[in-house]
Amino acid sequence: MSNVIHASNLTLSYDNGEKQIIKDANFSIKKGEFVFITGPSGSGKSTLLKSLYGQLKPTEGDLVVGGLNLTNIRQRKLQELRTHMGIIFQDYKLVNEWTVAKNVVLPLMIAGYSTEIQDTQARRLLKHVKLSEHADKYPLELSGGEQQRVGVARALAKNPVVILADEPTGNLDDYSSNVIWDLMENACQQLDTTVLVVTHKIPTIFSLPYRHFIIESKGVYEVH
Amino acid sequence: MKFIKNHLMFILPLMAILLGIEFFLVFDRTTDTYEKGLKEGYTMLVVSKKPVELATFQTLNRHISSSEQIARDGIVSEVAKGVGKSTSAAIIKALPYFYNLGLDAYLKSSELETIKKDLKSDTNIKRVETFGGSYNSSYRLFAFIKFTLKLFIVFMTVVSLFLIIKQMEIWKYAHKERMRVMEIFGAPLMLRSGILFKVAFVDAILASILVSALFLYVKFYWAAQSGIDMMVENQEVLFRVTDMGILLGSSLLIVIVAVYSVVFSNKGVEE
Repeated sequence: MSNVIHASNLTLSYDNGEKQIIKDANFSIKKGEFVFITGPSGSGKSTLLKSLYGQLKPTEGDLVVGGLNLTNIRQRKLQELRTHMGIIFQDYKLVNEWTVAKNVVLPLMIAGYSTEIQDTQARRLLKHVKLSEHADKYPLELSGGEQQRVGVARALAKNPVVILADEPTGNLDDYSSNVIWDLMENACQQLDTTVLVVTHKIPTIFSLPYRHFIIESKGVYEVH
Repeated sequence: MKFIKNHLMFILPLMAILLGIEFFLVFDRTTDTYEKGLKEGYTMLVVSKKPVELATFQTLNRHISSSEQIARDGIVSEVAKGVGKSTSAAIIKALPYFYNLGLDAYLKSSELETIKKDLKSDTNIKRVETFGGSYNSSYRLFAFIKFTLKLFIVFMTVVSLFLIIKQMEIWKYAHKERMRVMEIFGAPLMLRSGILFKVAFVDAILASILVSALFLYVKFYWAAQSGIDMMVENQEVLFRVTDMGILLGSSLLIVIVAVYSVVFSNKGVEE
């Protein structure tokens, strides 16, 4: 199976290389794999995730996502790559002045789909995350768990090649967390989507086979 | 309420800039007419030993646009009343030639001195009178009024630009999150800033319409009914159709710069 993500001697840092977070990391992730990245607070989990969607450029080494090297990627190519990604955040990052339905179809809107297709997809996705009755509400009218389900629906909207999730259940209770894990497992199983989740703790209820990387002392190591 | 306030906070300074631009246009046209009047009313007097053609004057200085010879018979009949015909003819023969010279523009008094110097370089020209004293005082008053008004317009524009920058800061804050989320999901710049452009273009068009309406009112109602001679005489220059295009173009340019500065300051790939 082909690699969806490949890092070779990857170094990530802030402040023009002065504050090094990840050093000489080497790893590969294949299509359809479910991957957890764990590590103590401040170890660089979110930094690694940011680099995977091109928000942080590698200081050294190569980081290839979907066949594109993010070290020297052009803005236009990066935008295109991002349209094939579903990204889920701990703080949801929903647009509060938009309705739930409009938030969900953001990736379709960016891809230029017609309003009819967007409406149909919004209904389908909201049904999938069990939020059909909240389509016309605004994010701040929903609970945290519901907002995160909107975030998951948005991530799934365009059948992405890869889903990147940064502490997706960090702010949620057990019930809501389980719903989110279910949705992500389904995406991986049914759509063959690569899912990479940054979390401080792997859920106990998780039933799929997965790979586990840990970030420690600036290194990324696989746990067998 | 917040929506209206947000729009007004952008429309009002934009209107102030547009008012400044329109004042400038109107003032420029009015002073142009006034300058033309001053130029047409002004002539310098030249006394020459021999007759001089206009072309000769123009070779001496390019600003000379017309020359009119003052009839010598008239001068003699005024100064030598009651003298005999032969005496009168002798006086006419002895008299030099007098010319009123017109200029092509309203010039500074220093430029008048240059013209005087150039004319005097011709050995036939005995005397040049520029009437510099009265010319200088009207020119200075005119230049002072022109400078003061331009200074005021520049000041008003600078203050308004600061207000627009302030409003842009508010926009930046208000749209930051949405634009950030859209960027993460790969939205191109135009899509991310689409809403901002829409809002800004509406504001720009509104501001242009309001300023145009104000000047149209001044031109067709207020000026005509004001009873102020200067306003009535200059009614035509108070607002022209082309001004509407200038105002709309200027306001669109300002909002494009404003929106792009918000969009680019919200952009951020960390390296």
